Amino acid sequence: MNNSNINSIIFCLMNKMRKTIEHINEKIRNGEVVVVRADEMPDIFDENPERAVREVDIVTTGTFGTMCSSGIFMNFGHSDPPIKMQKVWLNDVEAYTGIAAVDAYLGAAQLSEDKGFEYGGGHVIEDLVSGREINLRAISYGTDCYPRKKLNTTITIEDLNQAMMFNPRNSYQRYNAATNSTSEVIHTYMGTLLPGMRNVNFAGSGELNPLINDPDYRTIGLGTRIFLCGAQGYVAGEGTQHSPKTGFGTISVIGNLKEMDPEFLKAAVIQNYGTSLFVGIGIPIPILDEEIARNTAIRNEDIEVDILDYGVRRRDRPIIKRVKFEELLSGRIEINGRKVKTSPLSSIKKSIEIAEKLKELILEKEFFLSKCVENLPRDTEFKEMRMIERIPRVKDIMTRNVITAKEDDSIDFVSNLLVKNQIDQIPIVNNEGKLVGIITSWDITNAIARRRKRLRDIMTRNVIVSKPDEYIDVVARRLDKYNINATPVVDDKYNVIGIISTADLIRRDIEVGKR
Amino acid sequence: MNKYILRYSSDIVDSPIIATTVLETGILINILRAKVDYDEAELIITILGDDEDQKMVIESLRRKGVEVIRLGENIVNDDTRCVDCGACIALCPTNALSFNEEWKLVVDGEKCIICGACIRACPRRSLSLQDLQEI
Ligand code: SF4
Ligand code: SF4
Repeated sequence: MNNSNINSIIFCLMNKMRKTIEHINEKIRNGEVVVVRADEMPDIFDENPERAVREVDIVTTGTFGTMCSSGIFMNFGHSDPPIKMQKVWLNDVEAYTGIAAVDAYLGAAQLSEDKGFEYGGGHVIEDLVSGREINLRAISYGTDCYPRKKLNTTITIEDLNQAMMFNPRNSYQRYNAATNSTSEVIHTYMGTLLPGMRNVNFAGSGELNPLINDPDYRTIGLGTRIFLCGAQGYVAGEGTQHSPKTGFGTISVIGNLKEMDPEFLKAAVIQNYGTSLFVGIGIPIPILDEEIARNTAIRNEDIEVDILDYGVRRRDRPIIKRVKFEELLSGRIEINGRKVKTSPLSSIKKSIEIAEKLKELILEKEFFLSKCVENLPRDTEFKEMRMIERIPRVKDIMTRNVITAKEDDSIDFVSNLLVKNQIDQIPIVNNEGKLVGIITSWDITNAIARRRKRLRDIMTRNVIVSKPDEYIDVVARRLDKYNINATPVVDDKYNVIGIISTADLIRRDIEVGKR
Repeated sequence: MNKYILRYSSDIVDSPIIATTVLETGILINILRAKVDYDEAELIITILGDDEDQKMVIESLRRKGVEVIRLGENIVNDDTRCVDCGACIALCPTNALSFNEEWKLVVDGEKCIICGACIRACPRRSLSLQDLQEI
């Protein structure tokens, strides 16, 4: 045997031990590849780590949740006579056309102009993928080369030259959970949150989440081939707000909409928040060495989730509790000694289906791995917005000399107060000065019509209040939400220390009363 | 079990209707939900008893000027729309919504008190109430 022969044998042996993506693709072609789902890997790894590294080639992940930062680029082709679209709508949902004449981008969160929250960009995308007809409307100023000024037609996905999904931010590595400590129901992008921390909503698919299975992004980056809504798509690089240092990495993804399956892409309405799109993503993780294998062996009980108080309308929301993903999945957790119900907002069932589907595609030799061209960055930081103006708080603009009345006062007395001071409402306090109710001029009229005499019979006890340190934008939202003109301002002991009204806000150029 | 909506107006809202009906008929009534305002009340009840008992209670209530409507099939989930996200589950006051072992949403219509919370929160608009039927 000559030297070069020996060398090639050694090279072969070493290659057998050092797994590469090329080898794994070779195994896919030969039908020898071993693929397991991310939820199956922990047991396999814990039983025998070395064997797991040696024998498992690919771990498939999956997630299916609403991802607002999603959308599609389209090219409509030219009409005759041609138009340079200045504004364009698909089923009354506006798309962005500040690019070439008949190119546009439609975002999942864009609301329709006629149906508001009930129909939006996400719905148009689902309708396109489902093969439904879409009304296309455009306007323009007209140019020498594109004379047309108006366009109204019907299209389907078949009629589009290209339809590319490009989602700037998808598939967070992990998520915070949400609860609400206030006394009012709030509607957020984390769903409906009941008052008094009566529910907790959480997101993501835990141990099946793609990025959590490769937290150092050793195999994920620009060019990684992924399962994207039923098609083969690619990671286009880091997603917006990618924050690897805090463990909140994200990816941007790209894929051909025409190849997608409506089973893995669904429109969403988030109550009183907006529209969105359920996006199904599965990433195959090649098991190249023990470290990668160990990372894919993560279990739901290893994943920590912070529950944040969304009742605090600030950028930095306080952490109420840190729990395990496993506990959230159980449907009940404990907060301050009380059982609280939990809801996932992502579909665990679909997430498993996606990981399983990806596994099948690989076994059927229909999906091959790609080596990424550039790994996701591990050192970028997510910066908050630079602010140059100071936002006033309630205490800066509220009226401090509040006229109040007592529960025992007569209706006559209070109506005189209203008229004399030209005000519309009077907070009612008890003997200690604590707020117990509110009376409006409408209540008085009503009381007279019904011949009621006592204040306590007609006052509203469930008073919407504001706190002195809240930003005035928060109060404006509250006045809009409850359709009221003013709220009393109370301190922590519920003493009335001021009142803030629509007029106070309008004076500060804050919009109220327009929805 | 059948559920009934009871509606009555201002002139009888002050009298103890349910209590008298229970005393008169000797049949127990379970109140699932109650909304009482200045001038009208709306209750959702079940009647603990067989068909005869149900009829007796309904007649007794109607004699008192109460409008009685039997509720149809309650809450229904459109499986072709639902994605099993679970957003509805924690909002249900009576635990009528839950996951089975396969993480599929299951609806227990018996437990539903028709509060509507899940319907509004469902991102897929997949939950709805069946029409109310007059009897
Ligand atoms: S919220 Fe709607 S889509 Fe989600 S599980 Fe409930 S019924 Fe299904
Ligand atoms: S309507 Fe209310 S009680 Fe009925 S299932 Fe929905 S949330 Fe539960």
